[in-house]
Amino acid sequence: MREFFRKLGWLAGRGRREEDLREELQFHLEEESEQLQQEGMAPRQAQWAARRELGNLGLVAESTRAAWGWTLAVQLAQDLRYAVRTMRANRLFSALAIVSLALGIGANAAIYSFMDALLMRRLPVAEPERLVVLNWNARITGRHEFVMHSMWGHSWGDEKSGTTSGMFPYPAFELFRKNDAIFSSVLGYFEGGKNLSLTTQGQADMAGGEYVSGDYFRGLGVRPAAGRLIVGDDDRVGAPAVAVVAYGIAQTRFGDASRAVGQPILIDNVPFTIVGVAPPGFSGVDPAAAPDVYLPLHTNILVDAANPFGFKANGYVNTDFYWIEVMARLRPGVSREQAQAVLAPQFHQWVATTAHSDKERAQLPELVLTEGGGGLGNLRRQYSKPLYVLLTLVGLILAIACANVANLLLARSSSRRREMALRLSVGAGRPRVIRQLLTESLLLASMGGVLGIAVAIAGMRFLTVLLANGDAHFTLHADLNWRVLVAAAALSILTGVLFGLAPALESTRVDLASALKARLSDGGRSFWGAGLGRLLVAGQIALSLLMLFAAGLFVRTLSNLESVPLGFNRDSILLFNLDALKAGHRDPEISTFYAGLRKRFSEIPGVRQASLSNSPLIGAGFGLDLSLPGEKPDDDTRLMPVGPGFFHTMQIPLLLGRDFEERDGPASSQVAVINERFAKKNFANQSPIGRHLILWKDRDRGISGRDMEIVGVAKDAVYGQLRDDIPPVVYFPYDQGYPTPRGMVFELRTTGDPLAYVGAVREIVRRADARVPLAHVKTQSAEIDQSINGEITLARLCTAFAILALAIACVGLYGTVAYNVARRTGEIGIRMALGAQRGRLVWAVLREVLLLAAVGIAVSVPAALAASALVESFLFGMKANDPAALGAAVATLLTAALVAGYVPARKAARIDPMMALRQE
Amino acid sequence: MDPKTSRVELLQGTLDLLILRTLAAGPAHGHAIARHIQRTSEELLRVETGSLYPALHRLEAKGWVAASWELSEKGKRARYYQLTRLGRKQLAAEHSRWDAFARAMGLILNPVEGEAK
Repeated sequence: MREFFRKLGWLAGRGRREEDLREELQFHLEEESEQLQQEGMAPRQAQWAARRELGNLGLVAESTRAAWGWTLAVQLAQDLRYAVRTMRANRLFSALAIVSLALGIGANAAIYSFMDALLMRRLPVAEPERLVVLNWNARITGRHEFVMHSMWGHSWGDEKSGTTSGMFPYPAFELFRKNDAIFSSVLGYFEGGKNLSLTTQGQADMAGGEYVSGDYFRGLGVRPAAGRLIVGDDDRVGAPAVAVVAYGIAQTRFGDASRAVGQPILIDNVPFTIVGVAPPGFSGVDPAAAPDVYLPLHTNILVDAANPFGFKANGYVNTDFYWIEVMARLRPGVSREQAQAVLAPQFHQWVATTAHSDKERAQLPELVLTEGGGGLGNLRRQYSKPLYVLLTLVGLILAIACANVANLLLARSSSRRREMALRLSVGAGRPRVIRQLLTESLLLASMGGVLGIAVAIAGMRFLTVLLANGDAHFTLHADLNWRVLVAAAALSILTGVLFGLAPALESTRVDLASALKARLSDGGRSFWGAGLGRLLVAGQIALSLLMLFAAGLFVRTLSNLESVPLGFNRDSILLFNLDALKAGHRDPEISTFYAGLRKRFSEIPGVRQASLSNSPLIGAGFGLDLSLPGEKPDDDTRLMPVGPGFFHTMQIPLLLGRDFEERDGPASSQVAVINERFAKKNFANQSPIGRHLILWKDRDRGISGRDMEIVGVAKDAVYGQLRDDIPPVVYFPYDQGYPTPRGMVFELRTTGDPLAYVGAVREIVRRADARVPLAHVKTQSAEIDQSINGEITLARLCTAFAILALAIACVGLYGTVAYNVARRTGEIGIRMALGAQRGRLVWAVLREVLLLAAVGIAVSVPAALAASALVESFLFGMKANDPAALGAAVATLLTAALVAGYVPARKAARIDPMMALRQE
Repeated sequence: MDPKTSRVELLQGTLDLLILRTLAAGPAHGHAIARHIQRTSEELLRVETGSLYPALHRLEAKGWVAASWELSEKGKRARYYQLTRLGRKQLAAEHSRWDAFARAMGLILNPVEGEAK
């Protein structure tokens, strides 16, 4: 401590100490020369000898100063002052450097913040690290030879890792629950979908729901914001129907969490009572789901009672039906591995008893416990791979920006060689000069970093909008937290050192005598001062090509997807969902209800046609057992229950026969329209018109649902995903028996903007039945765009990044060429005075640029081809080594390089020889 | 014999000890210290000015010597250094460490003498 104050005192009296040191060394010189004179030397000689003996006065002073301590801080202040001065003197250079760094750092921080939200986020529950998710994994070879006969939910995987899923039969959940030696609680839940109709105070809306077991909230360790949460006793058949609502819903519907408690609520027209409100910030165990309402597991029988395809009570005893997801909380001191070792054999033994055949026994699923603290991995699986691609791209941008700044610094430092030589020769140590140069680059980098954070904030907003693309349920929210800030700071420092060190080392490694003698114009033999500079430019070009290629691939993928023949006209169609079943309408009244609505919609002025269908064509996926008479039924054919005038409304051309009409009602004979694929597959060259199709209600017992006569063949139209081939499809009227209609999507072909008709539609629905919620209102075009949202985002971002990279690289190229031209003004002047042609001079400069571009491209093409294989799964309609994308990238790059080189080259050719020579 | 060929390089860390020992005789300025070391060592040790002043300032920073401006014998202003109490203690400690080191070196370099005893 005393030491500190002593040094502080010295620091205060620094000016006086400098004076003292000078005087002390001066005294030493005089004494020495006096002594030498006494020994018989001539006065002048003695002075010189003394001086020689003392050595470099500046260096002695410098190292003496070092003994004072504090030098580092003092020097840093000096360096900073000097760096700011240099930056001010080179405004354009500094601005270019800072902006390109800011863009690089900002883009990285923005993408990183999404990675952070995706990968680092913990569930807002007590001790999330003790939670584990139960999954099973199996290698399924034959679809019909697996113990799981049906599933609600999703599985994922590929050929290498096999199939993985978190869905289990309820009896397995009961088995897991018995393990209270390793688990303090076992919680089960299943997603009720985002299409529950939620009615409070007479107002109906679509909402997302989650069915949870009695141990769910206790196991997670969540406390209610108001009232109580669901407990064990709520989760049994016959218990009073209670619900817990999310904090957001409680606020919007009731104004306040405490006021929601005790309120009645209709869920799919089934009365529940709100007993409590989940805490703010809690959005269930799946960050992708974010339910609005939590219901006891067993109430799913109640809610689905009216739904012909809904949950049936035997789901609780069926061992072949997989639907419940399971999480567990480990007891303190029990590791995930230990729990797995205990549980896996139990599950294996149990699942073996559910196998119906030897083939099923041969490929039993194995239990796998994974970490549960971050919640379920659905969002992670969906977004992490594209985000890794983006992170790589922004990493490349940063590398290009760094190379840029390094190159600019290098070009500048070569003109500062004399300054450096001077500083070194008057006694500045090499480390000291390097430190000075590093201070300059670090200052640039930190300013870039600060600006980069602003870029990051803007970028995160932009990305959120882009990724969500109108999806109201988008739940991946990134925010600027300390990890992101630390990452940005670390990037700034790293880049500062990276791009600062090379030029600093290069420019201080000078032969003093020759550097001092040298003229400014005395560069290397080419237009590029140092080999390092060429290397950097070639590297930038190589990296830019990678990015251009990636952008080309994704843009072509998008345009391939957009040019997929839809088979219908996507323009001017309004889509919306209505679910009368959830408002209490039942068959057969529900059919007349829908028919009445369709009639009224078609009467809205400006609506040309109106129809309805089971689901939108994009994203559709519905199959039941179907067969030609006398053949074996299967559910491979895709089905689409539709309303009258469907093909006319969607403008799907009919090749044979007719569209459905209003006369094809419940009372008339059952009909169907097939698509081309189905016709080709089943009828080859014969006419399908008049042939029959059987839709089976129960194939095992031979109960048929419909016997339909084919009345038309429609041209193929997209069914499902744009990426998939169009399957064989059978269309049939929604109101001709099995299956009875549930929620429907209405299609309105309008004149002008479809969204202009939403008000009229809402009014008609409200008058017909206010309890029926209107949901998912959007245009057909928006629906299509949303289905390829990932591809659109990737293509747009990649293009933006590639343009950014190209711009930064061109600025670098231009800057370096311009700088070198300026530096060699004298030489160019001499050449021109000696009769060099202007054209030849331009060509000389351009040849250098082209050579560098060629080297960069030659290095990059193999790398690009190798790297593109990694993104093959994102591509559509082409191979990863797409020659068109590669060719376009190379052409763009060469053009940009030539333009960047031509401007300064022409400037060089315009140099007036006389002026240039006089400058010398 | 050329004095330069027989000059001994200063061992790392010994300069501090030499300065402290020189100052034990009384205050002196930088040049006088250098000259004293040179003469007393019979011209075998020569202190480079380039290391003398950094060393002096380092010792001052450590509080082992104190400096003040005085008039030299020729009446010029000079910076005089003198041992502090802390410096005296340090000198004693370094001195005995050096003695131990020198004895150890002697034992190893002249082993016959050691065994004969």
